[in-house]
Amino acid sequence: MVMAAAPWIASPSLIQFGISTLLLATLAQSWNIIGGYAGYASFGNSVFYGLGSYGTAIAMVQWHLPFGVGLALGAVLAVAFAVVLGLPVLRLRGHYFAICTLALAEVMIAIVSNVDIAGRNTGLVLPLLRGDALFYEMAFGLLVLTTLAVLWIARSRFGYGLMSIRENEEAAAVLGVDTTLYKVLAFALSGFFAALAGGIHAYWITFLDPVSAFDIGLNVKMIIMAVFGGPGSILGPVVGAFLLSGISEVLSTEISNLAGLFFGVVIVIAVVFMPRGLADLGRRFKQFGWHYFAENVRVHRL
Amino acid sequence: MPSLLNVRGLTKRFAGLVALSDVSFELERGEILGLIGPNGAGKTTLINMISGTLSATDGDVTFDGCDLKRLPAYRRARLGIGRTFQIMRPFPGLSVLDNVAVGALFGTGGGDHNLPRARRVASEKLEFVGLAHRANQRAEALGGPDRKRLELAKALAMNPRMLLLDEVMAGLNLVEIEAVIAMIKKVRDQGISILVIEHVMKAIRSLSDRLLVLHHGEKIAEGAPEQVLRDPQVVEAYLGRRRA
Amino acid sequence: MSLLWQVVVNGILLGGLYALMALGLALVWGVLNIVNLAHGALIMLGAYVCYYLFTGLSIDPFVALPLTMLALFAFGYLLQRYLLNLVIRAPMFNTLLITFGIDVVLTYLAQIAFSADFRTINPTYAGDNFALFGAAVPVVRLLAFAVALALTIILWLFLARTRLGRAIRATAQNLIAARLYGVEPRRVYALTFGLGAALAGAAGGLYGVVSQVNPYIGTSLTAKSFAIAIIGGLESPLGVIAGGLFLGIVESLTALYIGPTYADVASFGILVLVLIVRPTGLLGRTT
Repeated sequence: MVMAAAPWIASPSLIQFGISTLLLATLAQSWNIIGGYAGYASFGNSVFYGLGSYGTAIAMVQWHLPFGVGLALGAVLAVAFAVVLGLPVLRLRGHYFAICTLALAEVMIAIVSNVDIAGRNTGLVLPLLRGDALFYEMAFGLLVLTTLAVLWIARSRFGYGLMSIRENEEAAAVLGVDTTLYKVLAFALSGFFAALAGGIHAYWITFLDPVSAFDIGLNVKMIIMAVFGGPGSILGPVVGAFLLSGISEVLSTEISNLAGLFFGVVIVIAVVFMPRGLADLGRRFKQFGWHYFAENVRVHRL
Repeated sequence: MPSLLNVRGLTKRFAGLVALSDVSFELERGEILGLIGPNGAGKTTLINMISGTLSATDGDVTFDGCDLKRLPAYRRARLGIGRTFQIMRPFPGLSVLDNVAVGALFGTGGGDHNLPRARRVASEKLEFVGLAHRANQRAEALGGPDRKRLELAKALAMNPRMLLLDEVMAGLNLVEIEAVIAMIKKVRDQGISILVIEHVMKAIRSLSDRLLVLHHGEKIAEGAPEQVLRDPQVVEAYLGRRRA
Repeated sequence: MSLLWQVVVNGILLGGLYALMALGLALVWGVLNIVNLAHGALIMLGAYVCYYLFTGLSIDPFVALPLTMLALFAFGYLLQRYLLNLVIRAPMFNTLLITFGIDVVLTYLAQIAFSADFRTINPTYAGDNFALFGAAVPVVRLLAFAVALALTIILWLFLARTRLGRAIRATAQNLIAARLYGVEPRRVYALTFGLGAALAGAAGGLYGVVSQVNPYIGTSLTAKSFAIAIIGGLESPLGVIAGGLFLGIVESLTALYIGPTYADVASFGILVLVLIVRPTGLLGRTT
């Protein structure tokens, strides 16, 4: 409730921070579907974000369609991509899947840079809509929507199917889970929300070019946030996104290099001491106390 | 009445190695068929090919009149074929109850789409195998014998018509073995046909209606347990191996 | 025709360096099952070490290579021994993440220490060419190619013939069995990673001579190394050489016939195709 009311009381820069973070949280949450629940760590969700951005931009700039249609177009592009490329790529496991999606992300940047309708390298400029408050509410609404989707997944037959795939894909198959269908659905769902985030972002900053729209760094950010917060949990990625964004923002005002360095150190420490994220830490700290951290190391060291 | 499972000329060739060669047999409804043979005889390969985990190089498998040839594993599962794995495959991060619930959600006929009901069924199966007290523990925390029970519960939750059991008794002590034997008999009494791979001779002898013996990928004997176990070929195959 | 030949020659020379870049990554991946996202950063560090040895102590870069390799070996050894060994039995995704974190840390530390300016290692013979059947071959590129090839062959012999090499291969195949034979996994792992880092360092030094360096080259070099390692196949150093040469030539040809901006598209596009169609790589064995 408080969060929804924020635009009316907070300062402009805080609202801007809010919009960015809400969109990042949506990305982290969308990654959660394919990476956290299905266990397929995609390093290429930035593609969906970019497709959403470009879908919206092209619809509005080249064809003069309203924003809503643009968003829908972006989402359709992303889902189509997820289905068509998901089928072959989701056959890969573990590292290979991660690398393949990363490679796809790189390829997309180069391809879009050479396509005329997308404005090639110079990019596109969208019509301006004043009022950050509106974008804030849109981003907020999207995050709520995505989180509700995750909530539904966690308590549904679909979600159980995804988790069984994550935990042991072969066992899932012999129990009757249609692993291919479910993986592609998860991928498409993940892409859907990421694309919507991309569309909103494009309209908000009104300028789009291939490298920033398909920003590879986004992949990393959303994964770190989701994993730090707790992959496979409902609120984990959101908490992770806000926490890490917040701290990074505070540090940025001090020394910008330090913010990046901070991220790196946090990742390293988190992977060693709390590999299952904050959500798991929260749940088990009551039981184990400080031993939780030592236990994680003990179980995973050579 | 036609047999439930009909295997004809099943063959599996890997690059340069013949794991299974022209194996044919039938599994009758309501029957417990024991599958024995020395290590490396191809028993697990056979089960893998029936459940769909491995594809066949040659031969046919028909289940209740359905040709399984092009069906992927999950479709065979939905036809009512359940199996356990010799090297157990639990869902480590999920609770014991949720592990079994997956079976209920997706099993025969596509499973139950109602989650609370599926979890209730899972509870029942856990009761049946004696794991109810561990329902909320993470599956990875379970020890060996309990993991075997979990495997069985998962397969049972699918409501299968045929169960393929792969060495569910390895590593169990005599008391636990007796308990599992009783469980399997109860499962059969519920109308489920069973194909059991086992090394523990005493167990397989008391369980099976018929025995099937594999050696080097070939069927070398089939019939009533007492008969088969006296067959000189079978004895020779096991010469030097332990007899229980 | 002579333009084509020039492009092919460029591609081969580039390919040799590519192969060396990917070698350390493939070694660590194949033996330790660690997918090292910080590999590019190690290459970057190697380039800087070589650079400072050259500008600070006036040591010719090719002479400085062994020193660079030693420095990176020590760094890699310590990294594996005291940090990476802590997560090695965790799900593979964790090592992916932690090496990513290390990559970020190294990049930012480098930026703080060395600034973001581009640097090149420019020995006096940097501009010299000689002609090979009508193609201009820069001396430094040829030397880099030769060194890369030599190191690859040395590594291959090391793994195949020496006791330590065999210990490494044994550990890769079966950790428990290797232990029974008296191999101490912690040290072998650290040694292997150190070796991978040393190779990355050598590649970095050579890279610094033929191209420009700044703290941010790490990420794309990591991606490139992955492409090479996977396309060539992780089975043996020979596969990596094949992958490197293949990609080097493909990129050169693409730059000429389609356009320079498409070179990366070609590499990563091929990577995607290889992963989908033949994940074991061009030279790998199919099970």
